[in-house]
Amino acid sequence: MIAGSRRAARLQRIGFWALGWVGLGVAMLVWQVIAVVDHSPLIPTFTSTAIALWHLLTSSFVTGNLVPSMIRLVIGFVVSAVIGIVIGLFTGYYRAVREWTTAVFDFARSLPTPLLIPVALVLFGLGGTMVVVIIASAAIWPVLINTSNATAALEPTLVDTARCLGLRGPALLAKVILPAVSPKIFAGLRVAISVSLAVLVVAEILGGSSGIGYFISSAQQSFQITNSYAGVLVLCLLGWIADSVFLFVERRLLVWQRGIVGGGHG
Amino acid sequence: MIGGVAVAVGLWEVASVTNLVSSTALASVNATAAAIVEHAGALSSAAGQTLEAWAVGLFIATVAGVLVGTLVGRSRIADAFTETLVRMMRPLPSLALIPIAILIAGLGLKMTAGLVAFTSFWPIFINTRYGVDQVENLLLETATTLGLRRTALVRKVVLPAAAPLIASGFQVAVSLALSVTVAVELVGGTGGIGSYVLAAQQANVVANMYAGIVVGGILGWVLNTGFAALFRRLLPWANRREGSA
Repeated sequence: MIAGSRRAARLQRIGFWALGWVGLGVAMLVWQVIAVVDHSPLIPTFTSTAIALWHLLTSSFVTGNLVPSMIRLVIGFVVSAVIGIVIGLFTGYYRAVREWTTAVFDFARSLPTPLLIPVALVLFGLGGTMVVVIIASAAIWPVLINTSNATAALEPTLVDTARCLGLRGPALLAKVILPAVSPKIFAGLRVAISVSLAVLVVAEILGGSSGIGYFISSAQQSFQITNSYAGVLVLCLLGWIADSVFLFVERRLLVWQRGIVGGGHG
Repeated sequence: MIGGVAVAVGLWEVASVTNLVSSTALASVNATAAAIVEHAGALSSAAGQTLEAWAVGLFIATVAGVLVGTLVGRSRIADAFTETLVRMMRPLPSLALIPIAILIAGLGLKMTAGLVAFTSFWPIFINTRYGVDQVENLLLETATTLGLRRTALVRKVVLPAAAPLIASGFQVAVSLALSVTVAVELVGGTGGIGSYVLAAQQANVVANMYAGIVVGGILGWVLNTGFAALFRRLLPWANRREGSA
């Protein structure tokens, strides 16, 4: 009885999963129909874009643009994650620090990051460093704010109990505080991934000498529209892969909290 | 709080006075303040242009996002149908569409607002879809027993219950929309704060560049805190349920 219903649930899950891919297929079909009906050089068909995508992924585009972008993305993301978590723990744990920094951090995270690109261009010139700095200055905020809020909202009983049991300093941090705030940190990191990807493109369009953003805008300027679209598809895939890897890692690391929170949804 | 701001401004001044950051890249606090006062007219009209594209795009995104999100979230089939698409759009590669959007719609308010709408649609849609899907069964069953059907059920039970999540999606969209607007202005040179800052940089007038950045920051800050305060008033039941999608 139980085994049967479990199998039914599993079948249903597979069905829903398959339906998701059917949905994607329908979206592609709609794109194809629009392109064929519109017949404008500005909207290439899905099939020709997919072919262009395949040509890109088997050409020097990979080493010349895709890899540099991915390196910038990873460095920018890691830098903002480390700085965001460290500062977030600090401001979250010490109330006085939090009160002094709140207004400044609020302003800094409200500032639309693309506005900082001209400054970064003056400071770092064209190229990778500038892009990494822009990514870090945008992606740090969701991590920092989430870490800080979660740390500030920790149950005092939790920290006090750990203290009574003799945990101090790094041990308290590693064994009690970090595990307790990690779900929120992960939520912040996931947002940081999308933010990184979004500002990466703008920074590369404005001041990259390589990278996906640079490729998309230079393809547009030389009227290779299909390549521009293919570049956007590359980004979609990159974002999807990054998000999937992230969810996988999160599920692994936070395995202990399944069933405690989130209503049992995977 | 004020103390923190004073320290930050102090650090800024020290960095510029001691030439820690070269004066070609950092204007002093005084020079920036003077530039803001001197160019108040140009800055406020630039801010107005930015706000216009922001508001039009966000409005379209909100209506479409809540509407489609509710429809999709109410049906498990539609929910599954859109899952993969959402997973690919969630990381928002929309800014990569700027060059293509310029080509299709040309430079101007229509293009900027359209791209803002497209980008902001996703967080609102995703949160609405999730929020509508997560409404407690107890709530739905009670309402159904009490005779609420379809539109009334959605309007009186589902949407209020999902409102905190929709609001947090909207708040993501508020700052995202501003970033997109500014990014389009930077790339396309279509006026607004983004173009103002870029023009100042290209003319090597560092003080004006910082004036634009500060005005952009204030704009973002006012919009963010304004909407946060508004939602606290409008949705007093939001605090019962913590967290966001």
